[in-house]
Amino acid sequence: MNITNSPELSQTRYRIADLILEFNHPTHIALNHILGSFRDFQIGIADDKADITINISLEKAPVTADMGLLRTDESIAWGDRFRFYEKEDTFITTIVNDNGNGTWYQYSNRNFERSTIYVPESSAAEQSAVITWMSMMIFGQASLLHETIMIHASVVNHQGTGIAFLGKSGTGKSTHSRLWLTHIPNTVLLNDDNPAVRITAEGIFIYGTPWSGKTPCYINERLPLKAFVRLQQAPTNTFTWQPGLKGFVAVLPSCTAIRWNKDLFASMNTILEKIVGEIPVGYLQCLPDAAAAQLCHSFIFGSK
Amino acid sequence: MKLRSDLVLRTIGSDHLIVDPSQDMVDLSTVYTLNSTAAWLWEQLKEKEFDTTTIVKLLCENYEVEEEQAQSDAKVLLADFEKQGLLEK
Repeated sequence: MNITNSPELSQTRYRIADLILEFNHPTHIALNHILGSFRDFQIGIADDKADITINISLEKAPVTADMGLLRTDESIAWGDRFRFYEKEDTFITTIVNDNGNGTWYQYSNRNFERSTIYVPESSAAEQSAVITWMSMMIFGQASLLHETIMIHASVVNHQGTGIAFLGKSGTGKSTHSRLWLTHIPNTVLLNDDNPAVRITAEGIFIYGTPWSGKTPCYINERLPLKAFVRLQQAPTNTFTWQPGLKGFVAVLPSCTAIRWNKDLFASMNTILEKIVGEIPVGYLQCLPDAAAAQLCHSFIFGSK
Repeated sequence: MKLRSDLVLRTIGSDHLIVDPSQDMVDLSTVYTLNSTAAWLWEQLKEKEFDTTTIVKLLCENYEVEEEQAQSDAKVLLADFEKQGLLEK
């Protein structure tokens, strides 16, 4: 009798920013349970082609001594446990586990349409954290081929339109969103960290995603994008519009694209060029107070 | 000489810019801004082999400028492109 150790494979599909993300994974991994933040985005298996495919493997990654060129080891999420390599036509991401006795690997092709994530000997919590994070990184790159950019922003839904607050980590994006929720009527949160912006035939939309930083706000919804606002802490509240070049430069640092695939990077800039041509960009120097939210609201919604 | 083929001129409203992604570990990507004449020249020169004479000719044929002035403007522009690393090596 033959005993095969190749486990049965299942597919689980999600639609995020109108892109189909497909996981192929061992059947005994209950992906829809492990990926809690993805639940509202799940769709059935249909015949149409997936835009992004990620294989989940419980085997050890086929690691060779030569990992290729180390491109970066900077990661806010993982600190010094993270490495990112380029080797021929593959981008390799490695993350050392909590105990320091194992490594998770992600192998992606150059445009990130196809990837494999290796999570051997990991707990469900570890699988959840690693697959959630790596799939965000993959989505941020692969979406650039579909007129879509992931941005680092906190987004509110005010009367059915999206306003995206940008700024360096620690600037107070989430705080400013909270001020809108409290002081501006008809406002709810859409996403607190990683929304996607997509150019469509009907206009430019901002989408909730399964990734929202520390705030569990995983809303499968899209809104017409009303404005970007870059925030900076200041002793007084001042709002200025940033036309043309200034607007582009204000949004650029909040956009996702690796710099080592020049096609993806150029694609991000082309999408951003189109977006900034349509969507106004503001700059808000602000205090963390109600007046900052009210000033911002009055500029965007026209009473000033 | 030739302009770097990986750089794309972007236009937003009346502003022109080029984003050069840094290839270092730390992100020191640069945004260059171009005035409308430089942007027009970029579009004329891209994907072509050119030298100072090409630029002078383009300027004289399309702008009301003396050849002497065009010579000096072309030299300044080329020196700038060279210094900022916008030319193919």
